[in-house]
Amino acid sequence: MSIRFDRVDKAFGPKEILKGVSFEIPAGQIWFVLGKSGMGKSVTLKHMIGALKPDVGRVWVDKHEVSAMGADDLYRVRQICGMVFQHPALLDSLTVKENIAFGLKTPQYFERKGRKPTESEILSTVKRLLSLVKLNDDILDLYPPELSYGMQKRVSMARTLAPEPAYVLFDEPTTGLDPQSTSSINSLIHELSRELKVTSVVVSHDMNCALEIADQILFLDQGKILASGTPKEMARSTESTVKAFFEETLSLLAPEERSKWL
Amino acid sequence: MVVMTLLHELGASCQFFFRVLKVARKTHGYGPAVIEQIYAVTMRSMSTILFAGLFTGGIVALQMGVMLAAYDASTIIGGMTVSATLKEIGPLIIAIFLSGKVGAFTTAELANMRVTEQIDAIDCLGTNPIQYLILPRFMAIILSSVALLAAGLLVGTLSAGLTASIRFHVNPLQFLSSIPRFTSAWTLFESVFRCMGFALVVATVSTYKGFCASGGARGVGRAVTESATYTNLFIVLMNYLSSVFLRFLHDMLFGSGS
Repeated sequence: MSIRFDRVDKAFGPKEILKGVSFEIPAGQIWFVLGKSGMGKSVTLKHMIGALKPDVGRVWVDKHEVSAMGADDLYRVRQICGMVFQHPALLDSLTVKENIAFGLKTPQYFERKGRKPTESEILSTVKRLLSLVKLNDDILDLYPPELSYGMQKRVSMARTLAPEPAYVLFDEPTTGLDPQSTSSINSLIHELSRELKVTSVVVSHDMNCALEIADQILFLDQGKILASGTPKEMARSTESTVKAFFEETLSLLAPEERSKWL
Repeated sequence: MVVMTLLHELGASCQFFFRVLKVARKTHGYGPAVIEQIYAVTMRSMSTILFAGLFTGGIVALQMGVMLAAYDASTIIGGMTVSATLKEIGPLIIAIFLSGKVGAFTTAELANMRVTEQIDAIDCLGTNPIQYLILPRFMAIILSSVALLAAGLLVGTLSAGLTASIRFHVNPLQFLSSIPRFTSAWTLFESVFRCMGFALVVATVSTYKGFCASGGARGVGRAVTESATYTNLFIVLMNYLSSVFLRFLHDMLFGSGS
């Protein structure tokens, strides 16, 4: 059970985004993909879910070679590999309950579970997920525009988790959130990994969070993996770009906190 | 340059149409969504179509009546008016209003869903967005167009009858009795065929432009503008092609002399 990139190249026109990227993410871990804007972080995530195909190389999720799959097969993979978008991306015309239950009403889910869930099972799953993302079930019948941005983000996470994916990909999950919501989303990612054994891949600019909860950090620069390792290894990196990237965050920490990493 | 852009848009729309056609064989479970969309499309356009039908019928009767009165042939005004409305004006008016009301709404709705990643989310949740979002809207626009045509024609005929009676003193019986002389089952078929053909253009272009939109609010605006422009251009093209095809079909079935 892993996500594997095997010498992946990807270009958009003359611009090369990924150049020979290879790595393997073992099950149950939290991996952060860091790097400056435009260095291929989101493109890397989109390859994992099959939204983009590599020009060269192969991408595997479990036993599925995502890079060689047709649309119908990809829908099966997307049941085990969910994605939380940068924006909540909730369906405006559906209530919170209908949004969360969306993934529970697909033929692929019925196929995986061996049967169609009953309405009461769906409702109890929705309520359980709402409590997991720290929301009350009195918002079940509300529409997304009636919720705050932070609440929409949490509902979006609950929706992704509904089909019980083994992998969850987060595309900048804390963008646009206040510090309190950011911290609670980060704890949630941590809990998912520890309690539900979900493998999380997070694209983020939130260095604090990466240091706090990541098992491994992958640093992308100019389409290549510049460095990878545990948060401690990355914080101590001597590679100039990585060092500069981490230095700013570490300088904001209290001395005793900083010494923990250096 | 303009021709190349037009050909490109035509090709891309056709390609999108075939993508929709490919998923159309798996419609199981989407019945309620189609019915919901048919209701929404019909209700959204009905008042406008009735309003347009009311005046179109009156205008056609007025123009025809003036010409026919010059030849002392006002009694056939009913047949001439209904035939012209059925064959040409009815389907075209319906298509233009469908494009303005339903087409623009559909493009804006889908484009907004695209730029806010809602369509990507549907895809990532293991559901084909063309099947879930496009197909019901597509079928609804085509099926509703026939209902709207029927309603528009009914109101148009009533208004034409009223105009003929008030302005040219043609009694309702004379008006109605001349209709079968100028219309047949073929005229009705032509009308429905054209109407569905135009609705197909509205459905394809509006869903394609919305589905493939990009670039935030500006992208939504661009998608709606392009949708309105290309829909109307392709309706004109479809009008010509359908005329040629229907003439050919008519000659093949009934002989070129009839």
